[in-house]
Amino acid sequence: MSSQTANDSTSGIDFQRIGLYAVLVVMAAFYLSPLESGLMTAFKSQEAFIGSTPFVPPPPSGFTVEPWFEAWSRLQLGVFNSLLLAIPATALSAIFGSLAAYGLTNVDWRGQVAVIMLFVAGIFVPYQSVLVPLTQFWTMVGLEDILAGVPLLAERTGLLELIITHTAYGIPICTILFRSYYATIDPEMLEAARLDGATVARIYWKIILPLSVPIFAVTLIYQFTQIWNDLLFALVLLTSPENQVVTLSLNQLQGSMVQQYNLQMAGAFVAALPTLVVYVLFGEQFAEGVAGES
Amino acid sequence: MAQLILDHVTKVFDDNGSDIVAVDDVNIDLEDGEFLVLVGPSGCGKSTTLRMVAGLETVTSGEIRLDDRVINDASPRDRDIAMVFQSYALYPHMTVRENMSFGLEESTDLDGDTISTKVTETAEMLNIGELVDRKPRELSGGQRQRVALGRAIVRDPEVFLMDEPLSNLDAKLRSGMRTELQRLQEDLGVTTMYVTHDQTEAMTMGDRIAILNDGRLQQVATPLEAYHQPANQFVAGFIGDPSMNFFEMEMQGDRLVGQEFAYPLSQQTRESLGDAVRVVLGVRPEDIELVSEASGDHDYETVVDVVEPMGNENNVYLNFTADSDTTFVATIGGMRSVEAGQPAVARFPESAIHLFDAETGEALKNRSLDELENAEPRL
Repeated sequence: MSSQTANDSTSGIDFQRIGLYAVLVVMAAFYLSPLESGLMTAFKSQEAFIGSTPFVPPPPSGFTVEPWFEAWSRLQLGVFNSLLLAIPATALSAIFGSLAAYGLTNVDWRGQVAVIMLFVAGIFVPYQSVLVPLTQFWTMVGLEDILAGVPLLAERTGLLELIITHTAYGIPICTILFRSYYATIDPEMLEAARLDGATVARIYWKIILPLSVPIFAVTLIYQFTQIWNDLLFALVLLTSPENQVVTLSLNQLQGSMVQQYNLQMAGAFVAALPTLVVYVLFGEQFAEGVAGES
Repeated sequence: MAQLILDHVTKVFDDNGSDIVAVDDVNIDLEDGEFLVLVGPSGCGKSTTLRMVAGLETVTSGEIRLDDRVINDASPRDRDIAMVFQSYALYPHMTVRENMSFGLEESTDLDGDTISTKVTETAEMLNIGELVDRKPRELSGGQRQRVALGRAIVRDPEVFLMDEPLSNLDAKLRSGMRTELQRLQEDLGVTTMYVTHDQTEAMTMGDRIAILNDGRLQQVATPLEAYHQPANQFVAGFIGDPSMNFFEMEMQGDRLVGQEFAYPLSQQTRESLGDAVRVVLGVRPEDIELVSEASGDHDYETVVDVVEPMGNENNVYLNFTADSDTTFVATIGGMRSVEAGQPAVARFPESAIHLFDAETGEALKNRSLDELENAEPRL
């Protein structure tokens, strides 16, 4: 029935198709409405916000870009610090994850399974459960004293701690992501490389690494988003205001007396922008990595 | 160039506490420059044997020697052995040139120019000279096969190992590559161990073939020896297509008696049997003659079950009676017309029969080779 109508495009209307699109439009509207409301709010003055429903576009009199400028000036430092944190932590956890996965997947040795189980268990440890041990650990280490000789680093102690913590916390999930990808690599190819005289390290460098681009995109996007959006570890580990990251700055946009919703919304968009950029940059490889094609 | 010796080589895999013997006490000597084909059904241990020589599997016991040097514990890179894999195992992110130079870069101190020259020469030799800047995914199956070969050849190793290298090619290409591989190996003179499950490859390519079954070496012989003088029933059944026909028989007086027929034996044949009572009678399909009328002791009335015309010959499946379960096959000339359901008389010439011990499978008597030697043209 339906295929007949679809083929015969000159006569009649395909009601099934219309119904499908109607449902899709409603669902899209449902999911996009918070985003739209946020965007509209960010362009409204305080009076216009109070005087209108959130998702209605700002009236000409109430339109302003002021919240964006204010949000940017107040988040600037946080964005900078977050980049300083997220870029190395993401790169490190991806590199370590890749190395661990290679060792656990493509190299044969005794007791592998037990180690893999440890990595898997690491994925399921919730952030909240390690908060107290984490702070105790860093107090014990006393990173600030260790770095006292290098003032440039000593000032950034909190961020360094956060980088190491996020790297460590990210390794298990990165390892498992890489492992599932490396398991699809033809073992005969690696054997051929061994017969060609390549060592375990050379095989990683010359063969595994060049083939890992798509899965690196996946882990980079995933880890960057995770680390960028993290508030909990930052809240616990960062003490100095110079080191505060974007999630902390965003939190401070919430005034104590007057709620400036337009400022908060603009701030949220500013804070979300970098993750969006990362996704656009690596999107193509991401799709390839998720599809599992080498 | 080198001599490769497998001396009582055994491989035992540990499968959750229970031992699985994959290769059981295998002895093979490969002469310098010899092309040896290791053949057997899947799971017979032939690939494991090859991988032990390559150094990809450890040897449980026994010795593998390359020119008197024991290489059991040498790492693959120290063995000077090149291997061609069934899946070709090319590096997908490298061009043909990079694929072929990788081994030289990793295992030698040669400078870039020398490597480049060697790669170009080898690529020209294999007729893939114009493909060197392409990636493997831009090549056809046959071209990939050549790159895989080139990658092995360019390293100029002591020994080539090939693990079913032709089985991913289509039939036409395969027979072409078979000839080419043979010619290449002859020109290069490199000792080669070639694994296949395809008995046609085994027959046509090897100087000698080694037949493995269930991890045990059955026979090492030239292809024609293995065909005409099989050491046991397994070899007789494995080599040749269609396979040799087997009938279980019992010695009674001067004749063999089976379920469907009896086969009188001459004095000479009886003597070669010794005191065996239960034997298996084997006869190759091309040795069975279809005659018009039963006239001798070895002629049997049969009914044609199925005919497979191959063009140059017909494979005729015969039953002793219309409702019998025992089917055997005879190969006759392609121009003779035979139809299913029609009666036929099959003759099993005594000079062509093989007899095997029913218990051990050992060959008790193989066909006589008198006619064969006369038939062979002089070189």
